[in-house]
Amino acid sequence: MGAGPIELSYVDLAVATGLVVVAGVVSLALQLGLARRLAVAATRTAIQLLIIGYVLKWVFKIDSPWVLLPVMGFMIFVAGRAAVERTGRRYPGAMGDAFVTLVLCSLLTTFTVTEAVIGVTPWYTPQYVIPLLGMILGNSLTGISLCLDALLERFSEQQGLIEMELAHGATRWEAARDVLRDAVRRGMIPIINSMMVVGLVSLPGMMTGQILAGNPPLQAVQYQIVVMFMLAGATALGCIGVALLAYRRLFNAKHQLRAELISKV
Amino acid sequence: MQQQQAVNKTPTFRVDGLAVAAGGRTLITGFAVQIEVGEVVGVTGPSGCGKSTLLRALAGLIDPIAGEIRFCGQRPEEMGWPLFRAQVLHLSQRPTVLARSVRENLRRPFGYRHARRAYSEGRARTLLERVGLDRSQIEQAARSLSVGEQQRVCLVRALLLGPAVLLLDEPTSALDQETRDAVEALIREEAATGNLSALVVSHDRAQVGRWCGREVDLAPCLVKGGG
Repeated sequence: MGAGPIELSYVDLAVATGLVVVAGVVSLALQLGLARRLAVAATRTAIQLLIIGYVLKWVFKIDSPWVLLPVMGFMIFVAGRAAVERTGRRYPGAMGDAFVTLVLCSLLTTFTVTEAVIGVTPWYTPQYVIPLLGMILGNSLTGISLCLDALLERFSEQQGLIEMELAHGATRWEAARDVLRDAVRRGMIPIINSMMVVGLVSLPGMMTGQILAGNPPLQAVQYQIVVMFMLAGATALGCIGVALLAYRRLFNAKHQLRAELISKV
Repeated sequence: MQQQQAVNKTPTFRVDGLAVAAGGRTLITGFAVQIEVGEVVGVTGPSGCGKSTLLRALAGLIDPIAGEIRFCGQRPEEMGWPLFRAQVLHLSQRPTVLARSVRENLRRPFGYRHARRAYSEGRARTLLERVGLDRSQIEQAARSLSVGEQQRVCLVRALLLGPAVLLLDEPTSALDQETRDAVEALIREEAATGNLSALVVSHDRAQVGRWCGREVDLAPCLVKGGG
């Protein structure tokens, strides 16, 4: 026990495939019309994960910052796109703002954890940096898109209210701060909710993975605590960052709200 | 006496050659007006001709495409836009209140950095009464009031702040005759004390004639096909 992970063979994977086939048969029998989509989804799952498996194997083997950094850049770019694509409204430059925010918040938290908490040497050890960055990006992009969505919705729908405040002598910051605060709050809700119930309702994937891989539960728990705090920190930074950048674009030096920049998707 | 003349030389509010556009189309060009202390000036023009856009530009909520605005001889950029707007206060036609009590709505602008005076509950209640609202309504949720009541709460909020110039956009559009008369009388009285001037935009020529000492007709400033 605890001697390390039991290696899976392709036969084992084939057996697991049987489980998806069961789902497909159920769909066909009940005419749910999901069989095709399920097949596509199962195929994509297998192919995407296999590809990433080979990429990671290659990146781990080369173990060089010159490979790690472009991989990180690519991950952040994809996350930035996803963050903006999930919002119901945009403004020119939203993608850039999301990207800048993700770069700052994800790198700051990833390297705080690898350097100050775990103490990874060398700093570019991909085995630590890539999974941590991946988790951070996944969570902070959710936070950022929720925050941006709330912020743009309120700036465009409450234009009258904000202009009323401006008209009474409010600075742009005074007129915007309620909206900014609520938007950051909206972005933070998912991570706070999951911190509330972690371990009670579900075991997080990372922790489950460590336990399956044969690590002692308490060590897995310690890692998970670090991860949850890291995700909370990254999400908070990400939400605040994107809210401030959007604020800078949507209000000008004349303390005007430029609601016309916001477009519905 | 000399000082008096100096004050008279610089009008409270002066606009020259103002042009505004909406949606890429020029609506009004060459608008000019000069408002002295205590004056109530009416601006008339047909519905949809760009009066509201003009008024928003006068408060700097949107950029005019040309022209100059001065408050007591100063350009808004020089004094800072928030300070300028607290002095040249724009009141939109559609009443806009926060989802809080009337009192909190009235207090709100006093929390801004540029507010020059403190909130006075006594004056707030007096003004509410003057425009035909009940003193006790100050406790009510502002959004539970009717549109006409909200319009008057907004006017009281603006007056409390003590601006030098009020830019009023159809300020009595949702009021019945009695409350409309009360609002007109209140503005006239405030102006008569010399602490307030007003620029009133209205489609109602009769109201302007009754209320305002002077009328500026927008007709010569309207761009053809701009309505």
